[in-house]
Amino acid sequence: MKKVKIYALSTCLWCKRTKKFFEERKIPFEAVEYDKVGEAEQERIMDEIRKKGGSGSFPFVCVGDKTAQGYDPEEFERMLDCEKK
Amino acid sequence: MIRFDKESRKKALRSLFEPVADKLGYKFHPDSGDVDFLLGAEADLESELGMPYCPCQARTKNREENMKIVCPCIPFHREHYDAMKRCWCGLFVHKDVEDASRLKQIPPDKFRRKG
Repeated sequence: MKKVKIYALSTCLWCKRTKKFFEERKIPFEAVEYDKVGEAEQERIMDEIRKKGGSGSFPFVCVGDKTAQGYDPEEFERMLDCEKK
Repeated sequence: MIRFDKESRKKALRSLFEPVADKLGYKFHPDSGDVDFLLGAEADLESELGMPYCPCQARTKNREENMKIVCPCIPFHREHYDAMKRCWCGLFVHKDVEDASRLKQIPPDKFRRKG
């Protein structure tokens, strides 16, 4: 299983639902809470997201080298299926 | 930090936003639970930062960019939100939407390709 990373905001409804999606499937993930770190770390995180093709709209999800922006269960399933192959 | 009674502030934000969203062609999402959560998050952000920022978009050091995500941020993202028939966080949906549960978040870089 490739690494799952969820970039999130603590205030974001769709970030919570994204985490729930992976929790319900018992898929471990690393959560990066953008709004819970200092400015310098936020800049580093935003650079990381932009390099992967994202922007400031959360959640941003990485499954291995596949990425998705926004809560999209169908896309998450596709990303997980790709990783199984 | 500005201290508000959260429930009162949620009601106030709802009253402030409703006529603005209406003029922009939008209405509150029909799911009252989601609306309550999102208004609560905005009330917290307003209390902490002075503005009811979108709870699902990141603020940076760029104040001009941050102002584009103060709720209701529909005018600054008009094309994108009209394409999704909802705003990014889902507090508002387009007035002609009957089944809001089917609306998806379309990443900002993808909706342009659909047009």
